[in-house]
Amino acid sequence: MANVHKDFHGALSYAFEFLEAHYGDDGLRDFLDQLADTVYKPVVLDLKARGLPALEDHWRRIMDLESAEYALRMDGDTLVLDLHACPAVHHMRAHDYRVSDHFCEHTRIVNDAICRRAGYLATVEYDQDKGRCVQRFRKADA
Amino acid sequence: MISCTEFIWVYNELFRYLEVRGGEEKVREFWQGIADNFLQNLREYIEQDGLEGMHKYWTHTLTEEGGRHKLTLYDDMFIIDMHDCPSAKLVHHSGRVEPYTKYCEHCQWLYPPLIREYGYEVDYEIISCERGQCRMTVRKPPAGTDG
Repeated sequence: MANVHKDFHGALSYAFEFLEAHYGDDGLRDFLDQLADTVYKPVVLDLKARGLPALEDHWRRIMDLESAEYALRMDGDTLVLDLHACPAVHHMRAHDYRVSDHFCEHTRIVNDAICRRAGYLATVEYDQDKGRCVQRFRKADA
Repeated sequence: MISCTEFIWVYNELFRYLEVRGGEEKVREFWQGIADNFLQNLREYIEQDGLEGMHKYWTHTLTEEGGRHKLTLYDDMFIIDMHDCPSAKLVHHSGRVEPYTKYCEHCQWLYPPLIREYGYEVDYEIISCERGQCRMTVRKPPAGTDG
């Protein structure tokens, strides 16, 4: 069982602000995109090898560890992650950590970076104020 | 969402990215920024309970983070003996990322300067980053001085 120290979400939010302040949107995007070649490389490889069940396993593991309120389902050829209460946003708000203005945008960038490398498409609709989002994943040529 | 369970690797990658873009100076600027903007809760613990507050703070954070360590609290001294740092282990032994060579220095830049602001003396020694071993010793200022 991985250890879960949720204050890290706050440090990450500060990191996004720092990157944006010093290197702009492009710098933040560039940094997050590269994570798919390092931190998320195993997810990319698994997605390539096993398809959407790999991503489903990834999200189920993460969301359960974070004690998130969520639902995962297949809608035709699309995997849908409905995050009712984002553990990151809600933890930061509960502990008075500043949530960076574009915090939720990181999800779009990282998901896109992972999926693009594996031949998949990702979309996300988020409401940062409410701390919830719906993420969708499907094969690029489907 | 980047999970807090993936944060350590992302942190390592951030340090490497900042060093490539802005040199070691930029990495240190980021660490300073974390100390100034993100460690308010540690400041509150110190302001309210001094050494005991530090003990409470690290009991909470190190228990959540895992690893093996020993915290020692005396009337005039607080010591963290980190035997097996979970962050350093993830960075150096997971094979997930190329370790940032100065990864462990972030603790050195985050905590001692902040604690010294309250008049304490702090020694911080990285024993082995690869093995995740370090020690921080905080001493109350000698009697008769402010702090």
